[in-house]
Amino acid sequence: MARWLVRPMSSHDAHLTRDEVVDRLVDVLKSHPKVDPSKVNPEAHFEKDLGLDSLDTVEVVMAIEEEFKLEIPDQEANKIDSLPLAVEYVANHPMAA
Amino acid sequence: MATTAGYLARRAAQKERVRLLYRSALKDTLNWAVHRHLFYQDASDLRDKFETNRHVEDPDVIDRLIDDAEAQYRNFQHPDPYIVPWAPGGSKFTRNPPPPQGIEIIYNYGKEN
Repeated sequence: MARWLVRPMSSHDAHLTRDEVVDRLVDVLKSHPKVDPSKVNPEAHFEKDLGLDSLDTVEVVMAIEEEFKLEIPDQEANKIDSLPLAVEYVANHPMAA
Repeated sequence: MATTAGYLARRAAQKERVRLLYRSALKDTLNWAVHRHLFYQDASDLRDKFETNRHVEDPDVIDRLIDDAEAQYRNFQHPDPYIVPWAPGGSKFTRNPPPPQGIEIIYNYGKEN
């Protein structure tokens, strides 16, 4: 919770570290109602490991968009199939908050 | 029904259309129902609508269902959707463009000699 208190004021200096991205993504996945929290690890594949549907994957991607205040284009969103891919995308996005 | 390559390709294309439609419809639902408890209710209703047609096998029926659903989505779009500020259409898009190349600040203007 303390990360909200030490948030830098400028929007261009606040770069996310990869660990923070992974932690936040794991939290997002654990709070999804259709996901079993004990199966979530940083290498999880949405459909194979977590047993999610393609529509569930769409919901998860939208939750990721809301968490990091991103706008993911549809082409990229179709490719985000697993947690490592999501970490790659968010960590390399210049505007991830 | 013989699962030929054409049939599978058609089903895969339909699956992509359904994904795109679900994504757009979910974002639209969030535009309309801003309060979270309303959004969760509407989102589960939307998901149930998709789930009722999950086991349809005939590609023509699926095509017609997708077309109807897309027409419904087009009718229901929000007139003022939420766009992330830095994305195209948002309020911060190109607000502070980077300055052109080659421009630099001259620190001792007028006092060069």
